[in-house]
Amino acid sequence: MDTIIKNPALPLAEQKPSGQMPVARTFARQKFLTKILLASFMLLPVLISYFFLSQQSLRLDEAQSLWQSSHSPIRIFYVVAQDVHVPLYNLLLHFWQFLFGNSVPQTRFFSLALLLAAIPMVYLLGKTALNRNIGLFAALLVAVSPFLNWYGNEIRMYSLMTFITVLNQYFYIKIFKFRKTRGFDDQYRLQKLWWGYGLSALAGIYSHYFFAFVLLSEAIFYFFYRQQFPDKSLKKFAAVALILLAAIAPWIYYVYRLGMIGDSTPLLYRPTTINLFNTLTQFLFGFQDDHLNTIIVSLWPVSILFLFLALRKNSKITPETTFFFLSAIFPVITAFIISIAIRPLFLTRYLILAAPSLFIFLGWFLDIYPKKISLSFKALLVAAMLTTLAAQIANADTPVKEDYKSVAQYLDAQAAPQDAIAISAPFTIYPIEYYYKGPAIMSTLPFWDRYRTGPIPAFAESQLPQQVDQLKNGHQKIFLVLSYDQGYESKIKNYFDIHFEKLSEKKFSPDLNIYVYRVGYNNISLDNSKAVQNFGIMARN
Amino acid sequence: MDLNPLPQQQIFSKLTKSDFLKTGISRMLLAATLTAAILYFLILSFWLPQGNAWLFALLIAGEIFHLWQAITYLYTVWDTSYSAKVDKNFQPWVDIYITVAGEPVEVVETTARAAMAQRYPNFRVYLLNDGLVAKKDNWQQIERLAQRLGIECITREKPGGAKAGNINNALNITASPLVAIFDADQVPHKNFLSKTVGYFGDTSIGFVQTPQYYKNKGLNEITAGSWEQQEIFFGPICKGKNRLNSTFLCGTNMVIRKTALLAVGGMCEDNIAEDFLTSLFIHEQGWKSVYVPKILTEGLAPQDFLSYYKQQFRWSRGSLEVVFKYNPLFRKGLSLAQRVQYLASASYYLSGLVVLVNALMPLVFFYTGLTPLNTSTMNLAAVFLPYIFLTILVLRLSSRQSYTFRALAFSMSSFPIQIWATLSILLGRKANFSVTSKKQLKGDFWYLAAPHLAYVLLALLGIELAILRQGLTAAVLTNISWALFNISVFLPFIQAAVSPQPQKETQKAAVGEISPAAEASLPERSLP
Repeated sequence: MDTIIKNPALPLAEQKPSGQMPVARTFARQKFLTKILLASFMLLPVLISYFFLSQQSLRLDEAQSLWQSSHSPIRIFYVVAQDVHVPLYNLLLHFWQFLFGNSVPQTRFFSLALLLAAIPMVYLLGKTALNRNIGLFAALLVAVSPFLNWYGNEIRMYSLMTFITVLNQYFYIKIFKFRKTRGFDDQYRLQKLWWGYGLSALAGIYSHYFFAFVLLSEAIFYFFYRQQFPDKSLKKFAAVALILLAAIAPWIYYVYRLGMIGDSTPLLYRPTTINLFNTLTQFLFGFQDDHLNTIIVSLWPVSILFLFLALRKNSKITPETTFFFLSAIFPVITAFIISIAIRPLFLTRYLILAAPSLFIFLGWFLDIYPKKISLSFKALLVAAMLTTLAAQIANADTPVKEDYKSVAQYLDAQAAPQDAIAISAPFTIYPIEYYYKGPAIMSTLPFWDRYRTGPIPAFAESQLPQQVDQLKNGHQKIFLVLSYDQGYESKIKNYFDIHFEKLSEKKFSPDLNIYVYRVGYNNISLDNSKAVQNFGIMARN
Repeated sequence: MDLNPLPQQQIFSKLTKSDFLKTGISRMLLAATLTAAILYFLILSFWLPQGNAWLFALLIAGEIFHLWQAITYLYTVWDTSYSAKVDKNFQPWVDIYITVAGEPVEVVETTARAAMAQRYPNFRVYLLNDGLVAKKDNWQQIERLAQRLGIECITREKPGGAKAGNINNALNITASPLVAIFDADQVPHKNFLSKTVGYFGDTSIGFVQTPQYYKNKGLNEITAGSWEQQEIFFGPICKGKNRLNSTFLCGTNMVIRKTALLAVGGMCEDNIAEDFLTSLFIHEQGWKSVYVPKILTEGLAPQDFLSYYKQQFRWSRGSLEVVFKYNPLFRKGLSLAQRVQYLASASYYLSGLVVLVNALMPLVFFYTGLTPLNTSTMNLAAVFLPYIFLTILVLRLSSRQSYTFRALAFSMSSFPIQIWATLSILLGRKANFSVTSKKQLKGDFWYLAAPHLAYVLLALLGIELAILRQGLTAAVLTNISWALFNISVFLPFIQAAVSPQPQKETQKAAVGEISPAAEASLPERSLP
């Protein structure tokens, strides 16, 4: 055995057996390596965004965010209160645009920045709760996640939700692991953690209503593990809860007073078990076309094999593991049950806040296996996520793609001044008008005057002939743009099919189609301003 | 950002050898698991649309059995904290029986010396030598060993009743009020008697059972798999049974009150799992039982696939005989809890039929397109996954992380053994008692995994057929996943059968090695 001669002049960290690296240097190297790894993880979404995702067409919801955030801060409260969301993201986006510009890539970069910030944050959370390797692996999953990359390039609040959720969970876990305070310094540090927790919770509830699920998961975890929290935690949590209630109450009251939230509620259907499993698989493998998605979700019995394989002696289920499992599953299951029992509100993107916890839990779970198998499974998972990320980007049939940009380009090229454009559902006019520079007039079906306060008029089949007659009057062709079916799309299309000659049709992305109909043969005299006045038709040029 | 790379936190750890005895689990989790199991069964039976009627009936029959197993397991482990009163001053005379039937002399000597070293004032050690009647070559060596050690050797000259007959013969010769029984390889710790006899201070106690720990569990896959199967039994299950006065005799490492044993006519000689049935009879007479959750002996697990296979067959056959011939539900003198516990333990070996039925479901689909249910595979997943997840969680937590995939794989893969045992009872075939070999048998036992290999082959062919017929539909993919799941579960068993089991050099000398030819010449070999 080698003899280690200790030098009393050196601190312990500097001492080393002959030929070995000192502990301090090993730590420094590990620290450096961690930084390099995290930086390279962060580089990946940047490259994906730069080369692919930021170039994509503006989508409907993004157009809405741009429109909402284009108002003054005070007005933003008003317009968002008519929507189904809370205002923090739009307020932040407003100032972001003020600082960095309002083009689509510039505004998308706000979401990307939040996604990038979430990567080291997830690492910190995983490392604090479990260990460094699990934190690193979870951070890698965030970086390669098709789902998070998608929303990291969307002008919506989902990246913000993700980041704030992880931040809030970080403070929560730090508080949990604090256990006992020993002196004044400890109390001061703990106090700072409580402030961090409270403020992040406050930001969370103003980033999305579904953030309540994060807080509920934490409350449930507290109920089961309250003995392990620092002293007086119940009082502190109660105080945070009261502050949050006080903070959100004025907003709820304001929304209630306006009474317009129902006007913009998206049409949601009661979810099925397929939606439930799609959500979990989308967290990992993103949005795939029906065929690939069928393959992914149909392999669910394999997950039981993974569970069985995890029956090993070396692992104990720690409270932290339970926390991440709870945080990953509770929001999804609860939203599903509420959607079945009360009212539909189940949307995968609203549940994005569960994804980081799922990744950390997976990191722990895969660490249970013997080292070689663990590494193989981890590599397999990352490879599968990268493959599905590529498929999501490359596949034109990716279900969430909305290629309004190409629609507008097509209309620019094909629609003449004597033609009309009819858009349904009405609210999809936002992204099209963002890109469209052509001469044809645009209208919605049903007609909607966006400059008058109130909801989008409900579709009435009896009024359709009259509205179409008004639209076709004096025009040669109607370019019927159909997307976001609100339950009446087929009625509109059938009406056109029966009454007019269809000249052509073109599909741009899933459920986004243009149908061109001949509606008149006469020479026309255009009076777009009259049309605008009468039907809320928006004219260009 | 704090990137200080502190040493890894200790979230993965090695367990100690007695961790399986530290049981205890949240009752809320048990209640949730019970709810999930019942919900799953009800939804499967009454809500999801039926497919082929025969397959559906088979599926439901299997699920009824699973529900029975789940309920009885949860009921058993609900409270594992019970411990009986012990009177440390109660120190009557004890006869220590070491049953021998051809085991290597050095193995017997180790056990005998350990028995003689008991830190207990009043005991005598006997070697119950069945070598002569079992026509073992070394029976005289055992007698010489007894002489050398200065202990009694009772060599039977009149055969019959196998191990039970051997014990009953000794009961007529020895005189102490208590008998402690050890298999030849089960080496008692010095405190075995001092930790067990005190319970007999309560005059209603009929017997005390202790765990059967395998000191050679690290030898190879077979010994490891055998031990990991034992852990859940001697951990939460036995501790739960203790609460319900339903502990049963496990053939070794036990102390029995002689009057209780004689009251039921001695050890039962009609059944190859004589211990199980004897405890049933003792309980029927109103005697109580105690389980002492401490490792007080160390023995040997079967070291080769053939020995494992034979041991499993013996247990299956003996237990299932209780179901078919001595059904506890219809026995007088047992409490309801005892009836349930005995039936739960005995009927465990019927699970082979259920494993086979479930494994065949994907194959039936591949070859015929028939399914037991006509529903979206996701509907099934939605009810099945919470149930199976909670079940696995309960298995993990209730066994203190001691239950492993290997144990599960060995249990599930034992389905041909269990089915063969069932058939042999139904067909009235005679079963012989066979001592589990204390030596590693050499040889290739792949033929014992032939059903599993056939399954793999049929599944691979079936998958191709199904894809050709239907393409990669959801139903095809889900059934492929199930088939792969079954194959993966069978793999450790197949691997154990086809691969020669390695021995660690340090343990080779201790366990010995004999050839299959020599083993085949043994008169009591009872391979099914």
